[in-house]
Amino acid sequence: MRNLRWLLVPIVVVPLTLLLFHGFGRDPREVPSPLIGKPAPSFSLVALDGAKVTGEGLRGRPYVLNFWASWCVPACVDEQPVLIEAARRYGSQVQIVGVLYNDSPDAAHAFLDRYGDGGWPQLTDTGGRLAVEYGVTGPPESYFVDAAGIVRAKQFGPLTLAAMDQRFGALLSARANR
Amino acid sequence: MRRLALPIAAAALVALLALIAVTARGPAQPQTRAEAGAAIAAELRCPDCQSLSVADSHTPSAVEIRRQIDTLLSGGASPDAVRQHFVDRYGEWILLAPRSPLAWALPFLAILVGAVLLLAWLRPWQRAEPVAVEQPAAPDAELRRVRDEAEALDA
Repeated sequence: MRNLRWLLVPIVVVPLTLLLFHGFGRDPREVPSPLIGKPAPSFSLVALDGAKVTGEGLRGRPYVLNFWASWCVPACVDEQPVLIEAARRYGSQVQIVGVLYNDSPDAAHAFLDRYGDGGWPQLTDTGGRLAVEYGVTGPPESYFVDAAGIVRAKQFGPLTLAAMDQRFGALLSARANR
Repeated sequence: MRRLALPIAAAALVALLALIAVTARGPAQPQTRAEAGAAIAAELRCPDCQSLSVADSHTPSAVEIRRQIDTLLSGGASPDAVRQHFVDRYGEWILLAPRSPLAWALPFLAILVGAVLLLAWLRPWQRAEPVAVEQPAAPDAELRRVRDEAEALDA
């Protein structure tokens, strides 16, 4: 019975420590999306400039749907130059699409005037219908969709250039290999 | 008191069975579509709030989810199908109560394992042989003297 006390370390302490280490090391809001590998939800929304954008119309090249809001500071502010640089770097190989999350067109215009407008479509998602279709829990959140319209990755929190290079790189090379 | 023991035990048993029956039956089934929708909304996590259900929140996402629940129910979807509709978008994260039976059983399993470990740990002490303590034999003369003195004090 004495050796039971020594067993306590491997069977109780070690798993518990690993569990806590794993649990505290991650953001509980960062949930994996069930949409990965599934067709992107279809939509038809109007952009800030009045153009109509549909999910079907975006097919043919990889795109990223970036849910953001003018009140999402500092994350969305930090993200804006990253998106602008990615738009410059990838040009017409990919499409960036902004989706306003719980925000007004006026506030969005003011944000774009202040932090830079990359020129990609900014969709007004009235009522947050598209956000619910994608299971968005809060801006910024981005979904990478391949040329065939399949959701391939979700980015929780602000995008970085490294993340964009990795995601778009994978989507573009997969497309080139086909 | 002993004569009352049997009736009290019987009454306690009846009360316990009634409690189990009521618990197993669960809350009354919602009657109208609005009630059914509200019941589902109360089980879903509001995506853009902290620790609130969809039923308790007024954020655009919560309002939209309530609208979708109503649309789905009026389209003839079952409550389970409505829940699944949102699980397909948000993952099981959207459910306020976990669906896996393991999640409910785990605390009881932990208590059981703890009790077993505790018992295994305590048993060697319980079974320990009582140690014989040697009683020094009091000499008869000494005993008699003490008894006499005590009696003299009492007198």
